[in-house]
Amino acid sequence: MPVVEIRSVLSGITVAEAMRRQVIALPTSADIGQGIRMMIRYKVNAVLLTEESIPSGVVSKTDLISAFYVELPAETPLGDVMGSQPIACFPDDPLEDVLEIMEAAGVHRLYVTGAHRQEVIGTVGYWDIVGLLYRFCRACERGTAKRDAKRTGERSTRFTVKEVMTSDVHACLQNDPVSAIIDTLSTCRVGAVLIQDESQSPVGVISKTDLIIAYRHGVSPQTAAREIMSTPVRSVSSGELLSTAIQQMLIGDIQRLFVRSDVPPEAITGVLALSDAARFRSGSCRACTAGRILIR
Amino acid sequence: MFARDVMDTRYHTLHAEQNIAEAVAAFQKASKSEDKKIFGMMVTDHEDRLVGMLSMYDILNYVQPKHVAIFGEMEDLDPTQTYRDRLKTTRSILVGDLMTTDVVTVRPDTHVMVIAEIMIKKHIRRLPVVNGQTVVGIVYVSDVFHRLMTLFSAEND
Repeated sequence: MPVVEIRSVLSGITVAEAMRRQVIALPTSADIGQGIRMMIRYKVNAVLLTEESIPSGVVSKTDLISAFYVELPAETPLGDVMGSQPIACFPDDPLEDVLEIMEAAGVHRLYVTGAHRQEVIGTVGYWDIVGLLYRFCRACERGTAKRDAKRTGERSTRFTVKEVMTSDVHACLQNDPVSAIIDTLSTCRVGAVLIQDESQSPVGVISKTDLIIAYRHGVSPQTAAREIMSTPVRSVSSGELLSTAIQQMLIGDIQRLFVRSDVPPEAITGVLALSDAARFRSGSCRACTAGRILIR
Repeated sequence: MFARDVMDTRYHTLHAEQNIAEAVAAFQKASKSEDKKIFGMMVTDHEDRLVGMLSMYDILNYVQPKHVAIFGEMEDLDPTQTYRDRLKTTRSILVGDLMTTDVVTVRPDTHVMVIAEIMIKKHIRRLPVVNGQTVVGIVYVSDVFHRLMTLFSAEND
């Protein structure tokens, strides 16, 4: 009996094609301040921790935000707050397998090892795979965008932001203490909170990155949110094409956009995370669904 | 010939508490006053002790989008606007957040040959000269090269 193999956009692509060869690592004895500095400098969400050059754990922004919440001194060793063990893969592993491992473990980054399992030679991140997928789909000749453009010279019906966005917008007030923002982030399991003024108008955003920067700069968790929020609120119209929103996130190195109504008044009505967008692949067309990816 | 013979004592410094916009302005001001492009500056504390180095590369690396490969494939993108948006994100970033803290230094009595060796092996273009913990000068690869070339020319004359 013939075996039907379903192939996705990522079929046949290995980790080596998506991995970054730069490994951001620190010894477990390095302090929290050094860990945050590495995350900011290299724009990463996690740092590999080593013990005598052997990988021993991973410390993420979430781990550091928890330390900020309980007001641990920035001189605390990273080994005291590290959250998980590094999960490894090989350069010749298929990307599809890597996505399955990420989903099963609930992580967004795997460490790539060579023949020697203790030697980390790179990392492969969920966002790198999303970027790769976006590029492939954009170039795909079977995509509805190119097909319809060839046939009619007009833009095809494509996914829009409102079809994919999440309507749950988690917001706090600008006078709320930073500790309340951390509470909201961890309770709602989101990466950023919208900050509003007293009239409920959006005035800024606080992400995990903003929080670790504040931690490093010696800000107290009792400080008002407005002191550390990022402005302006990066947003996209709900009627905008999903592919345009993904492009905006990938190019701007941001993992979410707030969605504003496309009819006045332009209130914030949702959030579009890059991971939501990835569920709909590149967002470029409806031609195929095989490559949709999501890490919960 | 030692570090003290080739070092530049007119150096410019940054403080870890300055933000990146202030650092960029300091780079521009230093380049203007020295009449040459300054690509890296020492970061000192309030007692003139060296705490790090910040180079233009560090700032560029931060501003550069991670998925830069996408740029090459899209003609409809405006890189200028993207850079403007990225530069806005540096407002809350301080020199201390991006600087290199693992700084290689030399002493005033370090021989130029040793300095050249360090620069070649470690791909370093500028080396702070410290006396104890205090900065006393900076040696640029161009100064080492020109001093050595001067010696070379003198030998051949």
